[in-house]
Amino acid sequence: MTHLVLEGLTRAYGGRPVVQGVSLSVERGSLLALLGPSGCGKTTTLRMVAGLEAPDAGRILVEGRDVTPLAPHRRRMGVVFQSYALFPHMTAAANVAFGLEMHGVPRGERVRRAAEALTLVGLADHAQKRPRQLSGGQQQRVALARALAIEPDVLLLDEPLSALDAKLREELRSEMRAIQQRVGATSVFVTHDQAEALAMADMVAVMDQGRIAQLGTPEDVFERPRTPFVATFVGRSARFAGQAEGGAVRAGGMAIHAAGLPATGAVEVFVRPHRIRVLADGDTAENALDGTIAAIDYTGEVAQLQVDTPVGRVPVDVATADGAWRARQPGQPIRLGWRATDTIWFAA
Amino acid sequence: MRPTLIATLTAALGLAAPLAPASADPARLLTYSGVFQDNYTDVVVKPFNAKGAAKVEYVGGDTSASMLGQLRTQKNDPQLDVVIMDATTAALACAEGLVEKITPAMMPVLDELDPQARSGGGECGPAVTFDHLVIVYDSRAVVPPPTSLRAMWDAKWRGRISVSAPPNIQGLALTAIMAHADSGNWRNADGAFRALKDLAPSVQTFDPQPDGYNLILNNTVTFATGWNARAQLYHDRSAGRVGVLLPSEGTVFQINTINVVKGAHNRDAALAFMAYALSPTAQKAFTERMYYGPTNSHAQIAPEAAARTAAAAENKARVIPLDWNEMIKLRDSWNQRWRREVISAATR
Amino acid sequence: MSRRQAGWLLCLPALALLTLAFLWPMAILARMSLNETSESGMLVETVSTATYVKLAEDAFTWQVTRDSLVLSAGCATSALLLAYPMALFLFRTRSRWRNLLAIAAIAPLLVSGTGRVIGWLAILGDGGMVNAALHAIGLPTQHLINNWTGVRIGLTESVMPYTVLALLAGFGRLDPRLEEAAATLGARPLRAFWRVTFPLTLPAVSAGWLLAFVLAISAFVTPHLMGGGRVFVLATEIYDAATQTLDWPAAAALSIYALVLLLVLMLAHGTLSRRAAA
Repeated sequence: MTHLVLEGLTRAYGGRPVVQGVSLSVERGSLLALLGPSGCGKTTTLRMVAGLEAPDAGRILVEGRDVTPLAPHRRRMGVVFQSYALFPHMTAAANVAFGLEMHGVPRGERVRRAAEALTLVGLADHAQKRPRQLSGGQQQRVALARALAIEPDVLLLDEPLSALDAKLREELRSEMRAIQQRVGATSVFVTHDQAEALAMADMVAVMDQGRIAQLGTPEDVFERPRTPFVATFVGRSARFAGQAEGGAVRAGGMAIHAAGLPATGAVEVFVRPHRIRVLADGDTAENALDGTIAAIDYTGEVAQLQVDTPVGRVPVDVATADGAWRARQPGQPIRLGWRATDTIWFAA
Repeated sequence: MRPTLIATLTAALGLAAPLAPASADPARLLTYSGVFQDNYTDVVVKPFNAKGAAKVEYVGGDTSASMLGQLRTQKNDPQLDVVIMDATTAALACAEGLVEKITPAMMPVLDELDPQARSGGGECGPAVTFDHLVIVYDSRAVVPPPTSLRAMWDAKWRGRISVSAPPNIQGLALTAIMAHADSGNWRNADGAFRALKDLAPSVQTFDPQPDGYNLILNNTVTFATGWNARAQLYHDRSAGRVGVLLPSEGTVFQINTINVVKGAHNRDAALAFMAYALSPTAQKAFTERMYYGPTNSHAQIAPEAAARTAAAAENKARVIPLDWNEMIKLRDSWNQRWRREVISAATR
Repeated sequence: MSRRQAGWLLCLPALALLTLAFLWPMAILARMSLNETSESGMLVETVSTATYVKLAEDAFTWQVTRDSLVLSAGCATSALLLAYPMALFLFRTRSRWRNLLAIAAIAPLLVSGTGRVIGWLAILGDGGMVNAALHAIGLPTQHLINNWTGVRIGLTESVMPYTVLALLAGFGRLDPRLEEAAATLGARPLRAFWRVTFPLTLPAVSAGWLLAFVLAISAFVTPHLMGGGRVFVLATEIYDAATQTLDWPAAAALSIYALVLLLVLMLAHGTLSRRAAA
């Protein structure tokens, strides 16, 4: 069931459009990620939903009710800020109880519910500490507990993990996802980190220059990008230009096969590294390319190869588990292959 | 403590003394700056220097108190040779041994001086100018011209009177005049204080800023206490608007004495200048220029100038024989009586 | 050279200046306060506490102390009340006029004391703008200058720019997101201000008040120029003793007394605010 709807949200700063007609809907209990590079309008969109900024045009509906004219304190939306914005003069428990107090919850119940919220995020032992006595990750969890304690209609998270180091970020990302699912909060999550968006969200809205470039499941967005921007921003790929001709793309003197190509016209082609195989002698593929290894980066689970081919430089991931990657050296010839259905193309 | 306070005190303590000149240079004369400097330079200093026997250089000072400050801090190595300042301050310099004792044997011109001029300086330098307390008034508002101090007690001038209260010596002088008129003895001031207490509610300020003459010209008050020479200057400059009253109750002299600094590097030039400053020529010239009363009885003052100073016989007759050195001893108690009996009766 | 030594070395110019410009004059002042003034007003070099005893025995000294403290505390409080909204507005506004407004707020610093008083006379005088306006609506003349009222107004105005600056400096770490967070948690704007912003500005408020108090209690120009000879405070008494009655020992003793008084008050303030912060 649709819970939150944005209709044509538009906002400009001093004549410069920042958000241009953003429309989307979020199902009850699901998590939507607003993904995009900095300056794409994702945070402004979130702030409009929270009521911290007024849209120039458009509406925000919660369960079909128009909340656009409401001030933020009347919206009942839990917000986790990028900087957490914890009240430095209050203990963790007081921070969490603040929203309950503002909503007129009696003292005893307030204390109980704040303690519950802190327990939910695993900070029951730190209730009496001030924010400056807590680590970054702990502060982040207090901020989450504070936003959840008021049992908000919608939970809004603005880059909540960006201030943390990589390891902690991954831990907290699954923890937050688990908490969000447990309380069933309809959530909107702003991030510029595509891995975070793909890992946590039920739906991803990729934003580009104030507009939604694509709205879909993480897999849709990754495997079936609808624009070159989405293909470029989400995940890595080999990327080259060519001409459609007789059911194939002519590029660098090669014919690249793809599904559903038009008869003629310029096209832009993308191939995800994880779809590309290294062909052994005698192996065949619908698309095969001979090339030379230009560079090898060991990253742990995979080694990332850069291969120079007639269509340009192509990234390939090679599993490291069998140790075979160690035999490869820059300058060696290599043969790559992928299926025609794995060729992503856009009419240029 | 605020810097201004320190600055004031250190300045008062004379830490900002001028740099030392080489000896055998012109004698350095320290006295008031402003119009006094302009006119005294014109009619006394320049003619003296033109005679060629010795030279004197004018050093503009601030108040008599700050001049005493300079003498005190330069006690062991005086940088000044002659000083003209208020007799009460000069008396302190004399008592503290900062200036020389002067006898008729070394300074024959002393025998030409008015007896008050001799006594005004005690054993040290004699009076070089007489000024006297006057009441200045707005001649446009006060018609016909007043003759008595009592004019100020008229209820119609409520809030229109400026009196410079002690420690300003105008306040002391006014008290002495009223005491003399009341009891025949300027030291016996009980009646004067009763009268001043009656005047108090009419007083707008006991500390006029910048001074009483200007408060009349900018319509803030109608009557103010003042000194004759300055009052005559404002009378001329305002085309007669500032009226000058020598009260029928009498007046007292404000005396400036001239002194040679003890240990002066240019003692001969200093003594020569002192003799010239006290001579009939210099006395006549300065009286006719600025309406300070002459202290040399041999000075032949033009009648129209004499009428505007204490030199005219009928004016001189009204001068109360007040001994400032005795007044200084009464000052503390009069100062307190002003605060307790007069100023506190005039809360605004 | 160790880092610590270098630190000390870097402090040397400031220490030298402090010694020259503050400690040395203070030493002279302390020495002067032990001299005496004779009945005839003469300065007598001696070492005695007679001047202090005379001041302590004079009820007027205590009256002036009380009046100075009440005046300064009152002016500091009103300056703070006026400066706080102004500083908060300046801190928050994104207007392009911000710098202009900030300059306007501290403009009184750029005008000399005398110039300011002449301006005040035109506004507050018996025939000034305020009274002209009062007369126009049929109200009687109010005496707003040459009395305590005038000094309170003038002193409040003269310390307010410093208060604005102290508050702005103290607001520096105030995160605008905190009030937004409070709003999203259901706090009305006024509630968010009182529960979140105001408590966080208390250290700035306390520092701003102390600064205003110190400036007010040591100000002598405004009480002198706007008091009409009716306002006696420690600073004007010191000024009069130093420049009018030439009683330097009394001026020096009063200065030392005022300094000690201020030090005690500042220590008390420091202790109180540390206790409040803990």
